[in-house]
Amino acid sequence: MRDMSPPLIGLLPFGLVCGVAAQALGVSAWGVLGMSAIIFSGAAQIVAAQLIAAHAPVAVIVLTCFVVGLRLMMYSAAMAPHLKPLSARWRHLLAYVLTDQAFAATIRRFGTSGDPYAGASYFLGTGVLLWTTWQASNLAGYWLGNVLPAAWSLDFVVPLCFLGLLVPALEDRPTRAAALAAGVAVIALDPLPMRLSLICAGLIGIATGLAMEGRGKR
Amino acid sequence: MSATLTFWVVVVAVGALNYLSRLSFIALFARVQMPSLVARALRYVPAAMLTSIIVPAVALPGAGPSDPVLGNARLAAALVAAAVAWRTRSTSATIVVGMAVLWLAQWLLRAAA
Repeated sequence: MRDMSPPLIGLLPFGLVCGVAAQALGVSAWGVLGMSAIIFSGAAQIVAAQLIAAHAPVAVIVLTCFVVGLRLMMYSAAMAPHLKPLSARWRHLLAYVLTDQAFAATIRRFGTSGDPYAGASYFLGTGVLLWTTWQASNLAGYWLGNVLPAAWSLDFVVPLCFLGLLVPALEDRPTRAAALAAGVAVIALDPLPMRLSLICAGLIGIATGLAMEGRGKR
Repeated sequence: MSATLTFWVVVVAVGALNYLSRLSFIALFARVQMPSLVARALRYVPAAMLTSIIVPAVALPGAGPSDPVLGNARLAAALVAAAVAWRTRSTSATIVVGMAVLWLAQWLLRAAA
């Protein structure tokens, strides 16, 4: 519970921002709750709300959100070996709570203990806590988001939380090279449409890490 | 299509595709053996993806309000927060110090402007 407080703190302002974005569309409280429960991804919800507000064609909105969500496939691959011992029903349930925050907070937990269920139960607990916080903060954003002054820059808590999770993951030269390459690539590729820069930079970072790993051994 | 119907079509379609992305490899690698290159590549997912999310949120004006004062304050706050994360390995300390530096830098830059 104690290690979970940073991702939860990070999620609150992000959820508020999403709730405000959905409220601006003029939907009901059920609409906001349906959006946050069914999509359950801040990035996709913000992008969807912005594009709906801009009257973009439905196919464009759906495709853009899918591309923004491609990183979830990488998390899925990284989680796969750890969830293999579980039953299909549990895998299907745990896939639903797989988010940036749940992945970042959980992935280090796997492999540290010999019990395959210890990491999975930690992931489940994390996922449920994050899910509940997400729904509550989206609704809170719907009701009181416009009261919060923009000058507080509360949305900055989101990158700070990820920064706190990133730095301990930079444990050797290949991981540092992966982060550096991804950071440079995401800026260089920023003009790409549909936030393709995110997934492309991720792939470039991973390839760089692998290449450095080969060099270190020889 | 009415505005309400459009909204729900988008929500359900995006939700379904997001869920399939989340499930994709968890379901696939439960059945087939993971290639060893993929297994090695997974080690770099946190470093590469977290950096790809953080850098635009800190450095690109489009990601936040396009205000140079705020942009510089964010960069300063992120650098100090990274140092705190390095020294303390504590995400809570990173967030608290990062927000404190952000507010201080915003206040100083506005006072100077």
